Amino acid sequence: MPDTLSLDVIDADGAIRETAAAAAGDTRARFLAKAGLLGGGLVGSSALLGLNPATAGAQGKSDIAILNFALTLEYLEAAFYTEAESMGALDGELALFAEVVGAHERAHVKALKAALGSNAVARPRFNFRGTTESASGFAATAQVLEDTGVAAYAGQAPRVKSTAILKAALAIHTVEARHASWIRDINDAPPAPAVFDSPLSMRAVLAAVADTRFIVPARRRRRRRPRRDTPPAPRFTG
Amino acid sequence: MSEPLTLDLLDSDGAIREALDEGMQGTRSELFRKAIVGGGTFLAGGLLIGGLPKVALGAPSAAQDAEILNFALLLEYLESEFYVRAVAGGALSGDVLAFATVVRDHELAHVDFLQTALGSSAIAKPTFDFKGTTANQTSFIATSIVLEDTGVAAYNGQGPRLRKQTLGAAASIVSVEARHAAWIRHLAAAPAYPNAPADYPAPAVLDPALSKAQVEAAVGATGFITG
Amino acid sequence: MTAARRVPGITGLAAALAILLLPAAAAAAQEDFALSEPGAHMWRWATVDQRTFARAAPNPGARVVARVSTLTPEKTPEALPLLARREVDGRLWVRVRLPVLPNGTTGWVLRDRLGGYQTVRTHLIVDRRRLTARLERRGRTVFRARIGIGQSRWPTPRGSFMIRNRLSGFNDPVYGVLAFGTTARSATLTDWPGGGFIGVHGTSRPDILPGRVSHGCIRMSNADIRRLDRRMPVGTPVSVR
Repeated sequence: MPDTLSLDVIDADGAIRETAAAAAGDTRARFLAKAGLLGGGLVGSSALLGLNPATAGAQGKSDIAILNFALTLEYLEAAFYTEAESMGALDGELALFAEVVGAHERAHVKALKAALGSNAVARPRFNFRGTTESASGFAATAQVLEDTGVAAYAGQAPRVKSTAILKAALAIHTVEARHASWIRDINDAPPAPAVFDSPLSMRAVLAAVADTRFIVPARRRRRRRPRRDTPPAPRFTG
Repeated sequence: MSEPLTLDLLDSDGAIREALDEGMQGTRSELFRKAIVGGGTFLAGGLLIGGLPKVALGAPSAAQDAEILNFALLLEYLESEFYVRAVAGGALSGDVLAFATVVRDHELAHVDFLQTALGSSAIAKPTFDFKGTTANQTSFIATSIVLEDTGVAAYNGQGPRLRKQTLGAAASIVSVEARHAAWIRHLAAAPAYPNAPADYPAPAVLDPALSKAQVEAAVGATGFITG
Repeated sequence: MTAARRVPGITGLAAALAILLLPAAAAAAQEDFALSEPGAHMWRWATVDQRTFARAAPNPGARVVARVSTLTPEKTPEALPLLARREVDGRLWVRVRLPVLPNGTTGWVLRDRLGGYQTVRTHLIVDRRRLTARLERRGRTVFRARIGIGQSRWPTPRGSFMIRNRLSGFNDPVYGVLAFGTTARSATLTDWPGGGFIGVHGTSRPDILPGRVSHGCIRMSNADIRRLDRRMPVGTPVSVR
């Protein structure tokens, strides 16, 4: 299975190229530019998300923010599944789920980081507070994380400006929905509980994530002391 | 769940219905005006020369959205009828019957939503012959997997062509189709896990997208649509 | 079916976490799950999020072995090596090494008093006979230095400890340019201010290294401590042999 997002994978059918070809005359160049596809023969290449450093600057600030939001969620999911796999509390189908889905989320992290390049936010520190260490805690948490991920991607899709990024987001979005359905099945919950899945705004998702307290806030710098003061020496035995 | 997808949200300026309900003549200049006000891409290309914007131009538009929604409606007609007949046919039992019943209701609701969004521009429901796949549980399962996976790929293929408000609606539907796909895959093969990774509910890191042409070809090949 | 569906988020997660607090129907004895595996060059540690008591056994009524606070004497987050986890009556307990005397004391704390689990693959091995310190990463030696250790009346204690903080920017030549704190305590300097913790640090007197020269701390040249700093994260286990 591919472990990077490549334009070939996203555009396997040529849909991007189909619409691009349909654009007449010099709108083609403008269309491609808008889609962030210009530069370095990216259409048809395996460059991640159809972007290379030359066109990375073409990503608007808004798309960068959306990608970093997605990256943060994927960091969280990936870390959750990775830890769960090593905590010895899962077996059977739950263990398989953690392994398979963890691999997907790690691949999503890798791809989003590569797409963002130096704009990628750093991986936070996590405290999963025991949810990776019991089967029931894991199962319940995984269900909420996946459902939230589906709602998060649905909320952002209409806000994405770059077509290449949108295609990638849609490709990830439905995989998260498959994850959600699977863990619900394992949990004896309805795999598809609603006719339409509700989107969530970025703010709502971030609030829900904050409520889990899974993300450990980066340690504040020590209280700033005036420059001329040096910290006290340690009082080890010496 | 109260609908996040009201018709207002989808067609807030009535552009879809206007574009298709009224005669093209009368609305041409209105459409141009709206397009120009809306964002400029229509200024380029053969628009002002040849007449109405061709949907194939690629830039999002109300008319293109309508075409795409009709494409989605066709697929939803297909799926809903498939499940209606399967549930009524009596060949399903247990968890598979429960699956088909829920999904039938979802697809019928999707049909209803799309018909409402398109109004009189909605295509009529075709006639179908499911070639016995609704009369046998094993065939039903295999067919359902293909229909759901294809539905996901179809929506993902069209998604980037939609105007943003329509995309929101499509996103809320496609994830449900993906849940269906994972669900039936799980029903089909869970006892064989961890073997059979190709049969997992989520078989790949990314879900592929298919073009309209590819979906039409795949659906055509089934012979399910008879008129 | 268009049933109302609650949006995932706070409520969902709170419910998920609440599941952890439900007592099990029967308190079945379970094998402890090892959180550190020296044989696989993998150790886990965690900060202490909430002050608590470490107990002799994983139950709220067991004898208290030590208080555990959230901060070290240097006001950095307390960090403890994690040995094992056990679920008892639906609650998770973790067996930790405690920074108390006698060295080597362990105790059980509730998992939810700890921070997120951190993993390290590095290991500092101090050989008191050869007067060397060696850092391994995944079992391979990546650093070596000659060291000073405690004089015989203030020996550097033998045992398994952990680097729990890193201090710099201070102005004391005894500690050189950089000092790491460990969870090891001097067994002789029990009245030392700050608790008598053993450190690993630089020195303004590299000329007396290697040797048995200190009050217990492990000293190396400033150049060596800088090299070590580039390779050794906080949380690294320290074996003093």
